[in-house]
Amino acid sequence: MSVNYTSVLWNKQKKTYDLILWSGILLMISCFVVLQLILFPQITAETLIIRVTALTAFTLLHIILMIGPLARLDIRFLPLLYNRRHLGVSMFLIALIHGVFSIVQFHALGDINPIVSVFTSNQNYQTISEFPFQILGFFALIILFLMAATSHDFWLKNLNPKVWKALHMGVYIAYGLLITHVALGALQYENSPRYWMILIIGFIAIASLHIIAGIKETKRLKELDNILVEEGFYEIASVEEIVENRAKTIFIEDQNIAVFKYDGKVSAVHNVCKHQMGPLGEGKIVDGCITCPWHGYQYLPENGQSPPPFKEKLSTYEVKIIKGKIWINPSPKPEGTFVEPAKIENHE
Amino acid sequence: MSKDEFYIGWQDEIPESNKKFLKKVIIGILVLIPVIVYAIVSNQKPFNYHHFEFGTITELSGIYHREPVPILTVESGIPDGFSRNVLLVGFGKIGAAGIIAEIQKSEGNLDGKKISMKGTLIYGDGITLMELTDEEESFIKFISDTVSVLDEPQVYSEKKLTGEILDPKCYFGVMKPGEGKIHKSCTIRCISGGIPPVMRVLQENGVNYDYYLVKGKEGKEINKSVLPYVAQTISVDANIYQQNGWSVAEID
Repeated sequence: MSVNYTSVLWNKQKKTYDLILWSGILLMISCFVVLQLILFPQITAETLIIRVTALTAFTLLHIILMIGPLARLDIRFLPLLYNRRHLGVSMFLIALIHGVFSIVQFHALGDINPIVSVFTSNQNYQTISEFPFQILGFFALIILFLMAATSHDFWLKNLNPKVWKALHMGVYIAYGLLITHVALGALQYENSPRYWMILIIGFIAIASLHIIAGIKETKRLKELDNILVEEGFYEIASVEEIVENRAKTIFIEDQNIAVFKYDGKVSAVHNVCKHQMGPLGEGKIVDGCITCPWHGYQYLPENGQSPPPFKEKLSTYEVKIIKGKIWINPSPKPEGTFVEPAKIENHE
Repeated sequence: MSKDEFYIGWQDEIPESNKKFLKKVIIGILVLIPVIVYAIVSNQKPFNYHHFEFGTITELSGIYHREPVPILTVESGIPDGFSRNVLLVGFGKIGAAGIIAEIQKSEGNLDGKKISMKGTLIYGDGITLMELTDEEESFIKFISDTVSVLDEPQVYSEKKLTGEILDPKCYFGVMKPGEGKIHKSCTIRCISGGIPPVMRVLQENGVNYDYYLVKGKEGKEINKSVLPYVAQTISVDANIYQQNGWSVAEID
């Protein structure tokens, strides 16, 4: 969390993350270069650079796309999610090397501007096998650039989280463009069926993880059946059901609500973090604050406000406890409104 | 998670359960990397053994021929097993015609004369090219002003050719691969820039290739017309003839 957009602290975790990330990148590059020079010593330096950067960036993109659903399915993956933007920026830089080298190699030093050449050299737009695949990579690179350039929280704050999130969902468009870029480019020349297998396995892995995570989320958001309702309040759980400092999440009347139990009290807030729409209900009360599991953004449970100097605010909900049962009024209070927490009887 | 551990990214320490789990995940990824790389690298199409002597300037002396394309016919200075009819090309993706024209502005007509030139050699599969790397400065001197008898086209046959139109500069050494879909745009740029198109045709033995300079009727340059058909397998009816050591395919 950075209120003045000063440099983000490079804590021990970030340093370890980057160390492992770049060790992996260098391992992949080293393996590729060594194997190429052993198996195909005739390769030129330019082709070597173009291919190793393509493989490394595309592999990183697969990992990036898998982290989201994996973290939804198993919270032990969350540390990979927290610094995912480091992965994204690294991937973009490697993809940029691939793009620049390819444009210079195949389009520069000719009779027209190299960028114009990308769009005009091959004009077989009407055929699949001869389609000018470079433009697909070009547009993917533009999307990845926009994402890398706006990865800092400065842009998240200034674009507002919904716009920022929509922009960053562009990674799926980029992935689609790149799958097609590879299928209509490299795989039209390197036609070994193993390459198709690897490409399809990668796609299936990403698609499956998203579908499984989506099914899990859909089940969670399904409205409760046979729920008791009295005077606008819904009975959602017994007090014992919720672990201390944790939450139960419910979906009533289109409201996504996280109900936290802490210090002998129960409070309810909107279940979506203002930072990157993380699932607050999967977070924990730490130092008296609801703490988002994705990036550690914090809110006070009784009013949904981030502690000063931060200014994020959540909607809050009225809560009451009757005979050990928690009742929620799903009508949201304006963001940041104080709501008296329900006190748990016989709490020690 | 034991003891209700909770991961927070901005804290220095990571919960033990996350640490143990991620250690296994990371080791798994690190083990998988060489496997993926091997699967990718080992299944590539092999590269050819063509050469581009990048960074090495060679001086050649021989008879300059304007037709069918700028060629320097030399007696020595070429690696063994490669043609002495050296196809001249420019720096980058540009043909030699413009450079020769500039040289002729100051030095006079070169056609049929013995001259000395320097450049970077490109050779593969029996074919030799020289990139005039220093452009107009590639011309060194006249060795003889005597004009040799020009080699007229020898009409040979009409033939249906099936193969791929390539740019010879990349294919014979500058790029690997210098053929096929991934190189298509570069082929277009090179041929558009004046590098003579060459058609590669697989011989009946299924192993070796024949190479034909592609020209239009009456030997006209048709670089722009062939652009939509390069870097893919095509069939054309051609009138084949030999000139200055090169096979030429005249097509409509």
